Amino acid sequence: MKNIDLKTAVKITLLIGLGWFLASRLIFGTLNFYIHPRFNGLTLGTAIILFLLGVAYWWQKVGRKEFADEHDHDHHHDHDYHHGHSHDIPWSGLFILAIPILLGLFVQPRPLGANALDNRELNFSLTAAQGSNLRDTTIETDGPRNILDWLYDFQRQQDAALFNNREADVVGFVYRDERFGEDQFMVSRFTISCCVADANPIGLIVATDDAPQLTADSWVQVTGKFQVQSFDGQMIPVLIADSITAVDAPSQPYLYE
Amino acid sequence: MSSTDINESAGNTAVQPQTPNLSRIFRVIIGLFVLVVLLGILPNSGNTTVTSRFQTFTTIFLGIFIEAVPFLLAGSLVSGLIELFVNQESLARIIPRRAVPAAVVGSLLGFVFPVCECGVVPVTRRLYQKGLPLSVGIAFLLSAPVVNPVVIASTYFAFGWGPIFVGRFVFSILIAFIAGLIFHFASPEEILLPPEESGMHLHEHHHHQGENNMSKFWNTVVIAGDDFMDMVRYLILGSMLAGLMQTLVPQSTLLSFGNGSVMSVVAMMVLAFVLSICSTVDAFLALSFVNTFTPGSILSFLVFGPMVDIKSALMFLGVFKRRIVLYLILIPLLLTLLITVFLNLNVAL
Repeated sequence: MKNIDLKTAVKITLLIGLGWFLASRLIFGTLNFYIHPRFNGLTLGTAIILFLLGVAYWWQKVGRKEFADEHDHDHHHDHDYHHGHSHDIPWSGLFILAIPILLGLFVQPRPLGANALDNRELNFSLTAAQGSNLRDTTIETDGPRNILDWLYDFQRQQDAALFNNREADVVGFVYRDERFGEDQFMVSRFTISCCVADANPIGLIVATDDAPQLTADSWVQVTGKFQVQSFDGQMIPVLIADSITAVDAPSQPYLYE
Repeated sequence: MSSTDINESAGNTAVQPQTPNLSRIFRVIIGLFVLVVLLGILPNSGNTTVTSRFQTFTTIFLGIFIEAVPFLLAGSLVSGLIELFVNQESLARIIPRRAVPAAVVGSLLGFVFPVCECGVVPVTRRLYQKGLPLSVGIAFLLSAPVVNPVVIASTYFAFGWGPIFVGRFVFSILIAFIAGLIFHFASPEEILLPPEESGMHLHEHHHHQGENNMSKFWNTVVIAGDDFMDMVRYLILGSMLAGLMQTLVPQSTLLSFGNGSVMSVVAMMVLAFVLSICSTVDAFLALSFVNTFTPGSILSFLVFGPMVDIKSALMFLGVFKRRIVLYLILIPLLLTLLITVFLNLNVAL
């Protein structure tokens, strides 16, 4: 009776498995496919505590037994510790707990891609609310601007024509739908404020003769100059591509507002 | 076969046919096998739409889960500490029992136990075990995810001082207070699931002289662990459901309701329910809707979302009786709808 029963063994495995799942996402750098980097510390802490919980369960079963024997505890006490906490969760509950671990093991971690855009609103201009919340620093810096920075700039300037001939160099994934012409695509990113549940797709419209050759969802680096053109009935800056290079997906696939 | 089963059957007063342990383990193994086969086939099947949808679902589900799980764990640890340090007599002395003071204390209790909507469920359940009055617990359950220092800070960072900031806290407290009063006067006999169903056990503590600080510590840890394991399955199911909804339901249909005084509120409440984002960060998300949606609907998102969403509703189901869960959803739903539609129609925010 003093041996670890099957259920406790499964519980310990699941706690440590869940801890390992979280820790592995952090170690292999895929955690930010799911959540904003500001929560990385929380995930690390959770992984550590889950490991400790696994150890505590084991200690409760094995370590304490010796401890209890040494101190000559009465039977009732012993019973309390050895069974009082172990028979509460049904097998189905433990099975559910295995789902995220198994998904984590069997499904290759991948960030949201073009296919997730099917049921989300695509923004090629920011709403005024996002614009009112801008970081003021972006307007002065001449450093590399990402897609979000450009959209902030578009938002800030009333006159789109000011962007004519401005040079841009951005990285994103390829997206197209029926609004796009033969020679157009969108270089897109998702913005995240907390986790992928609130992912918001944004992008710049790119004009290039190579558009038909690009596969949706592949990552590209686009350089070129803006020209105000009509897209879907609106006059907006369109990036006329000078070069389009295939690149690897960045380790931080999302942009953060 | 194992000692646990003998214990369970001995504990049940009603005689039920006991499923043999072996067949249960067998079913779990079959279930695991089916899952593994599905996981092996789905991502590699030729059908690209199914594959990519499945990938999107997995990413969103794991995103919500990874984001929420630290907060559930924190709530479980608080629950373990309550079990260890809070005793029934002192709780009874501190917490008022008269209707109005009790509901007020309940809706402000989040300052004492700062937990979000995942952590609040195990904490409330533990406090009920310690003899917390019904109305206090209900008010706490609904208000604590918003009325606590962390959420006050994040809402302030997102919106600054203004009607949205003030409205969020005033109306959350008000709705929690009213719900507390309703439960006080309706005083349903039993709101919690019986222990066998909820997996909750009365931890009888015999504080032996031999029990030192070390063993108290391990005891707390295991209680926290049991609470966590018990609640995490509802979090997982809720996150899966939310991920599924996000993968299949187009957001554009919801967002097209942005302007109507009533429909915008309904749309934002549905969105809050479906998205199931943690209350500590939902203010940042709400910010991106400010100019497309009416002010009342933004407020409804910030007030209703933390009280009820897919994952917290599922966690309620793990603790409360079904009828109680229904009221726990309906009361905040109707009150939020009433207040925010009224604001949209009559007050310029």
